[in-house]
Amino acid sequence: MSGADRVLEHATCLGCGCACDDIAIVVRRNRIVEARRACALGVAWFGDGVVPQETRSAGRDRSLAAALADAAKLLADGRRPLVYLTADLTCETQREAVAIADRLRALLDSPASETAASSILAAQRRGRAGATLGEIRQRADLLVFWAVDPAERYPRYSSRYAVEPAGLQAPNGRRSRTVIAVDIGTARGPADVDARVSIAPEQEVDALGVMRATVLGHAVAEREPMRQAGDLARQMMQARYVALVHDAEPSRPPSDPARAEALIALAQALNGPTRGALSTLRAGGNRSGAEAVMTWQTGFPFAVDFARGYPRYRPHAGAAACLARGEIDAALVLGSPASVPGRVATALGGVACVAIGPRASEAGFKPAVAVDTGVPGIHETGMALRMDDVPLPLRGSLEGPPAAIDVVRALAQRLPRP
Amino acid sequence: MTRSSRLRITGGAVYDPANGIDGEVRDVCMEEGRIVEQLPTDAPRLDAAGMIVMPGGVDIHSHIAGSSVNHGRRLLPEEHTADPAPAPALADAASPARSGTGGTIPSTFTTGYRYAGLGYTTAMEAAVAPLAARHAHAELDDTPIIDAGCFVLMGNDDYLFRQIAAGEAARARDYAAWLLGAAGGYAIKIVNPGGVERWKSGGRNVTGLDDPVGSSAVTPRKILETLTDAAHALRLPHPVHIHCNNLGQAGNASTTLETMRALAGRRAHFTHLQFHSYGGERGKSWKSAAREVIEYVNGHPEVSVDVGQVMFGPATTLTADAPVEYLLYASTGRKWLNVDIELETGCGIVPYAYKEKAAVAALQWAIGLELFLLASDPWRVVLSTDHPNGGSFLSYPQLIRLLMDRAARDEQLKRVNARALAGSALADGLAREYTLTEIAIVTRAGPARLLGLKTKGHLGVGADADVTIYATAADRAAMFAAPHYVIKGGTVVVEEGQLRRAPAGRRLHVRPEHAASVTRDLKRYFDSYACVSFENYPVGPLQDAAVGAA
Repeated sequence: MSGADRVLEHATCLGCGCACDDIAIVVRRNRIVEARRACALGVAWFGDGVVPQETRSAGRDRSLAAALADAAKLLADGRRPLVYLTADLTCETQREAVAIADRLRALLDSPASETAASSILAAQRRGRAGATLGEIRQRADLLVFWAVDPAERYPRYSSRYAVEPAGLQAPNGRRSRTVIAVDIGTARGPADVDARVSIAPEQEVDALGVMRATVLGHAVAEREPMRQAGDLARQMMQARYVALVHDAEPSRPPSDPARAEALIALAQALNGPTRGALSTLRAGGNRSGAEAVMTWQTGFPFAVDFARGYPRYRPHAGAAACLARGEIDAALVLGSPASVPGRVATALGGVACVAIGPRASEAGFKPAVAVDTGVPGIHETGMALRMDDVPLPLRGSLEGPPAAIDVVRALAQRLPRP
Repeated sequence: MTRSSRLRITGGAVYDPANGIDGEVRDVCMEEGRIVEQLPTDAPRLDAAGMIVMPGGVDIHSHIAGSSVNHGRRLLPEEHTADPAPAPALADAASPARSGTGGTIPSTFTTGYRYAGLGYTTAMEAAVAPLAARHAHAELDDTPIIDAGCFVLMGNDDYLFRQIAAGEAARARDYAAWLLGAAGGYAIKIVNPGGVERWKSGGRNVTGLDDPVGSSAVTPRKILETLTDAAHALRLPHPVHIHCNNLGQAGNASTTLETMRALAGRRAHFTHLQFHSYGGERGKSWKSAAREVIEYVNGHPEVSVDVGQVMFGPATTLTADAPVEYLLYASTGRKWLNVDIELETGCGIVPYAYKEKAAVAALQWAIGLELFLLASDPWRVVLSTDHPNGGSFLSYPQLIRLLMDRAARDEQLKRVNARALAGSALADGLAREYTLTEIAIVTRAGPARLLGLKTKGHLGVGADADVTIYATAADRAAMFAAPHYVIKGGTVVVEEGQLRRAPAGRRLHVRPEHAASVTRDLKRYFDSYACVSFENYPVGPLQDAAVGAA
């Protein structure tokens, strides 16, 4: 029996925001030997499932109870603590973490401050016209990839949700659709498309404005390159359902921060003459879950400050800014430390930290207390959100270190009552 | 006194209409979370002398939890910033109090605390897309005190439409049963049947009950009939809960009446009826058709409604009726969120405000009051604002005052823009004033009965010990805004007007039986069309046992 492979079906991958939940994990002697249907990113994310199982405090191995006592003291002693939710946490763990931040009157933040903030803020100012990924598959007959080739960071987006699969109103899959790449400078759309439009980065936002004006029926004087943009807008108006796809995660070179709002405005406007949705690509590790949990428990999706005893929204004064100002004197970092953005990770090196999550003991910022936990979706069950906010269950297929939810709850019990 | 499992409430004037008690001063005894006949004389007492004792409030239709509600929360940071909610000072250290924020869509802990603070102990989340049911349950887990259930959206469901098109009534019924279990839901919800599918597929919306949706075999009428029959055949505790076509359109009362007639003789609940009671002509004129609509309701005992009263002030329109929200966006230029939800439904959100000076808002306000005041059977006309669409649930006390106090009503009537009020019964002068008993019916006894919640909404032996105790006051808004004591499941959660305990609430859900063959067919369907695995779709077992069928 110990030699027999186990196959766990319908596993959810958190390698990227696609959150494909059709992965079959093959387990042999408590190691993952295969992740069927996973893309290269997913295979790398699952790995063999073997993760460190250390519990350390002040550089030495410690029992969990002792390490948590040290952690609780470190956090309680802080005058201005930070609770940081990074990748690879279940929603259940995220909920416990927000409770801790509330109790500690901490600053609560996530990588969103450094990554998707402009998209999130633009959507708060304007709203957005969107659709779940499955609806794009069912309806879209025109796909416009705006400065992104999903193959790189969201490998199954095209095969699972957008370009290739048959849908209710796209019965021939790819052949039912027109696919257009908009290249903004060196940020290029997919290679295999029906047409390309090239726009210089410094003209991108103006071009989006011209497109929106066209869709709204305003007369717009167009000279190249704006005429191309206007033509694309007219083509979009003729489609039955337009999916406009962009990446909210940072790119090199960095994109125009005004892009997000201009894309939102265009997608909303398309719903006059036709139907349209903006599909926003997001990275994995249940980052969308952190934003949802923070929103439902506090009202705000990131950069939440509990210092006054209630949540305040500080989107321009998140973790990185406060760390840089030397404000933070204690930090609780939950999730995979490797996913902490560089700016934040570097600054955390100068702060007394507790790290709880997958590979916490390997954190570059050398936390004072580190508790390795299992990985959600590999060792730990729970809920996660796909990039379009569809909730999915996570299955655990391996034995491993303690579940983050249990460690975080045990930590919470040791914190002083308010 | 406060944490004992036994408690005798003494000296209060009890309003328990389900048991025919109409202001009688009598004791209410509870033990282990239930109302009991008697207690030993040395049992702890709560002196309610001079106060009014009612069952805990039951909100039959509210938007408080789930993916769509959370999109709304995220859209309104400025409202949250303006309404901070520090953690209440709870006496109970077992579950630490949580801070949050308010506005028209408060954060989850704040929602639970504020409902309890108003004396409500049960609330139904009115619109959950089954694909996102998991999220709704997670939010309800973070909504303390109140017992809650979910209405599951089915009126624009692709798999359901296939069964209707194929004439497979039994399969449609089995699917509804399966879907309720998969979503952990309590009731079948229909929103703009066929209209949201049209919005997603390029047809914009439906306008008539016989408009084809994809094929002529599927029409709003057929969707309504199929699901109404399913709710009945499954013996669900609450009948099908219907948000009619043409919400918000001038002249839509004819659609509403046609829908009611289509289902005549079968139990059905029509929600936020105010938004569906407009006379006049689409695109041209507005007037009230409340009289006509409520007369039909009065004459048809199988029909129940909740009013969906508009209250002046901020609101957030948040609904699965996505095409309506597009129109509101197009005409107001306000923030607008739309999410098309695969194979099932949609979501549209536009933050809004109802102003006394706006003729249409004033008409909407008047129509809601007409529906209340012309209703002959308070057991079938429930108080609601379709929170947050017509206004926040925090406005219920002011609404109660408007119903009980003609002078207050008339005073507000003088202030509003009367331009569209010609022909409205309210403008003609409606003298009726709701009694305390009638208020107890429309806020507790009636909704509990309509929901089939046998242990809610009354204080008879065996009922849940959910009790609200108000200090009597002539200003009924002040009275209902700040109950002196609120007891939930036998725990005193509000004491002397302060929230002191926040135990978890229970999930109300049903799990009707269905033929196994439907799951085999669904698995094939999911393999062909869905973007989630069939095995990952159901929310799985919930902590609380399912409610038995009525």
